[in-house]
Amino acid sequence: MRSFIKKDLLIFWRDRKEIATVLILPIILVLVLNFAFAGLFSNDGQSSLDLQLAVVNQDDEAEAMVQLNEKLVNEASIGDQEAKALVKQANDVHPVQLLFEFLESEDLKDWVTVHKLEESEAVDKVKDGDLDAILIIPDGFTADSLYAAFIGGSPATSLEYKLEKETNNSSTLYSIIHGFIDHLNYQFAIQEIAGTSEVEVKLPEGGFEEIGAGETFTMTQYFTVTMGVLFALFLVATAATKTGVEIREQVFNRILLTNSHPMQFLIGKMVSTICLVLLQIIFVIIVSHFILDVFPNRSMTFWIGLITMVLLLSLALSGLAAVFTAISLRVTDIDAANGIFMLVILLFGIIGGNFVPIYMLPDWLQQIGEWTPNGLFLVMLTEWIQFEELSSIAKPSILLTGFFLLFTLIGFVLFPQRGKAK
Amino acid sequence: MLETINLSKSFKGKKVVQDVNLYLNNGESVGLLGPNGAGKSTTISMISTLIKPTSGEIKLNGVNTIDKPGEIRRISGVVPQELALYQELSAYENLKFFGAIYKMTGKELEKGIQQALEFVGLEARQKDLVKTYSGGMKRRLNIAAALLHQPKILILDEPTVGIDPQSRNHILETVRMLNQKDGTTILYTSHYMEEVEQLCDRLYIMDHGKIIAAGTKAELLSILSTEDTIKVELNKLDETFVEQVKTIEGVRKVEASHLQLKIIATKGSNLISKLVHLAEQHHLQLINFHTETPSLEDVFLQLTGRTLRN
Ligand SMILES: Nc1ncnc2c1ncn2[C@@H]1O[C@H](COP(=O)(O)OP(=O)(O)OP(=O)(O)O)[C@@H](O)[C@H]1O
Ligand SMILES: [Mg+2]
Repeated sequence: MRSFIKKDLLIFWRDRKEIATVLILPIILVLVLNFAFAGLFSNDGQSSLDLQLAVVNQDDEAEAMVQLNEKLVNEASIGDQEAKALVKQANDVHPVQLLFEFLESEDLKDWVTVHKLEESEAVDKVKDGDLDAILIIPDGFTADSLYAAFIGGSPATSLEYKLEKETNNSSTLYSIIHGFIDHLNYQFAIQEIAGTSEVEVKLPEGGFEEIGAGETFTMTQYFTVTMGVLFALFLVATAATKTGVEIREQVFNRILLTNSHPMQFLIGKMVSTICLVLLQIIFVIIVSHFILDVFPNRSMTFWIGLITMVLLLSLALSGLAAVFTAISLRVTDIDAANGIFMLVILLFGIIGGNFVPIYMLPDWLQQIGEWTPNGLFLVMLTEWIQFEELSSIAKPSILLTGFFLLFTLIGFVLFPQRGKAK
Repeated sequence: MLETINLSKSFKGKKVVQDVNLYLNNGESVGLLGPNGAGKSTTISMISTLIKPTSGEIKLNGVNTIDKPGEIRRISGVVPQELALYQELSAYENLKFFGAIYKMTGKELEKGIQQALEFVGLEARQKDLVKTYSGGMKRRLNIAAALLHQPKILILDEPTVGIDPQSRNHILETVRMLNQKDGTTILYTSHYMEEVEQLCDRLYIMDHGKIIAAGTKAELLSILSTEDTIKVELNKLDETFVEQVKTIEGVRKVEASHLQLKIIATKGSNLISKLVHLAEQHHLQLINFHTETPSLEDVFLQLTGRTLRN
C-alpha cells in the first residue's frame, strides 16, 4: 500500500507544471484579486464594507408626546394625572436622536455612512445603486418606543430595513440595529424602576461581538479559501487524468499481474489525494496568510479548527477521486471520461461558490451549492471565521464526512474487482 | 506445463480467437507468429489472465487458471506489446514500485532490480526518467520489469516492434540467454519470421484467430517439402501468360509482381522446360530464373495465400 501512495505522490511531484499550477497559481490569484478588489473596501486591513445607509425619518417628534399620552390613557388605562407625569419624564428622551447618534457613533463610523433622506428619494438612490440600504423610522416610533418602555412590552411599530441585495455586511448591520433597539428599551425599563430622571442610554460596548455578529468575513479571506479549494478540485481532476494515463499505458494491467489486490490501487489513490489536497490548501492558506495577513490575531483553536476542516474536505475529495478512478477503469473512452470529470469539477466549483461568492448567486442555486463538498466547506469555514463556534460547524462537518462516505462507497461499488471489466 | 484447450474470444460477437490449442513445455522456447490482427495479443492476454476467454480452458500443470489466476501470475512475467511503464519515474523507481507490489523487500528487492537492469543493459541510466529514454531503451526496461520476480515463464508480445536493429539484437540476445542459461520457458510473439526462426524451438502460426500450423521449423518446412519454389523474371508480363502458367500440371500457386513470377509447384514436375516453351509461345523472354529453398515465409504463403507482412 505504501508503494502505491509513494508512487502517486512521486509522479505528482515530478509534474512540475502541475505543482506550479496548484500551489503557485492560487496564491498569485489571491494576490491579484485582493489588490484588484482592495479599492472597493476600506483599507484598514479589516476591509469591511462601507454601507451607504439612507435613513428616512417619518416620525413627528412634536406629535410624540401627545401620542404617548393618548396611548397611556387609552391602551394602558392609566389615570390622566399619572400619564401626564410619565410624559413629562419622557420628554427628555429622544429615541430617534439616540438612534442617529448610534448610527453615527465611532463604532459604526467604519461601517456605515448615514444619509438623511425622504423615502422616495432614498428608494431612487438605492435603485440606482448609489445607496445600499434604507432604514425607515415609521410614524409614531418615538411614542411607541417610549410606551413600550413604560409598560415593559415590545414596541408595536418597528424600524423597517430595506436592502437591494443581501450581503454579509448589510445583514450584520441589521442585527446591530436590532440589538441597539432592544438595548434602548431595556434601558428605559431600568430607568422606570429606578425612578431616576437622568436618562442615559449606553451604546453597546466592544464593537459587534456583543451583539452576536462575530468577526467579519473579509474578501481577502474569501479569495484565499476559495482559491485553495478551487485548485484542490482541479487537483482531483488531475489525479483522475493520471489514472487514465496509467490505464492507457497498461501499467494498471501490469499491477494486476503482480497479484496485488486492485483495491490497493484505489485506496492508494484516495490516500494520495488526501495528502495532496491537505498540503495544497494548507500551503495556499499559510503562504497567503504570511503575505496578506489574512487571519490576523487568531487563536490556536481557530487554526486547529481550520486545519481540521481542510482535512474533512480532503477526505470528501478523496472520495470523489475514488469515484473518478473507478469510472476510469470501467469506460472504454478515457478521454471522454476525463472531459466529463473536468465538467463535474467545474460545475462543483461554480455552484459551490468558488468562482463567485455564494451569496451573489440566486437563492435556489445557493441551496444546491451547499450540496457540493466544496460549497459546504466554504459555508463551514465562513461560519468558523466569523464565530469560531463548534456548534455552528457541527452539521456541515457531519455532512462533509457523509460526502466522504458516500463517494467512497460509490467508488468501491463501481470499482471493477478483477481489473478491467472485459 | 501450460496448455490452452479450444481457447476462444469474441468481442461484441466478432470472433477474434477461435479454438486455439497450444502448449508450452518446461524450458521450451515457443514462437507465436501471425500478421497484424491475427489475435496474438488477445491470446496472450487470456493466457496471462488479463482478459477472460469467451470459452475454452487454460491449464497450468493441469490446474485451470481462469478462476484461480494467482499461480500463473506468480510464476509468469509478461512483456506487453505496449510499454507498461511510468514515464515520469526513473527506471529504478519503476522497478522499485513493481518489485514492491510483487511483495519483494529490502536486499532481495534491491538485488532483483540491479539484476534486471543489468540483464537489459540499463544500469548506467537507471536514475534517468523513462520519458527521456529512447524507444529501444524503453522496450528493454519494459522487459526488465517483467523479470524482477524471476518468472519461470516469460511471455513476450512483440517486444521488438518499432526499434533500431541494435536494440533489437540486444533484446533477442537477452531472451535467448534467459532461455538457455536460466531455463526460462519462453512464449514469444512476433510477426517477424526471422526472429522466431532464430529464437524458438517450436512455433505456432496464427491467422484470423486460428492456429493454422504448428511444429518445429523443420516440421513446418516439410509442409513445403513436396514442393519447389521457382522464381522467374521475364522481359514482359501479360495476364494470359500468368493464367496459362497456372494451368500447367503440378503448379499450385502463382504470384506475380512487376516482371517476376513466384511459382510453387509439386516437386519434379519438370516445370522449367514447360515454362520456357510457354514463354516462347507468348513471345516473352526469360531473363532469369532460380529454384529457392523454402522459408517459413513460404509456409505462410502456402497456408494463407498471403505474405506475412503487409
Ligand atoms: N478490446 C477489443 N475490443 C474489440 N476488438 C478487439 C479488442 N482487442 C482486440 N480486438 C480485435 O481483435 C483482433 C485481434 O487483435 P490482437 O491485438 O489480438 O491482434 P495481434 O495479432 O496482436 O495483432 P498485432 O500484430 O497488430 O499486435 C483485431 O481485429 C482487433 O481489432
Ligand atoms: Mg498484438
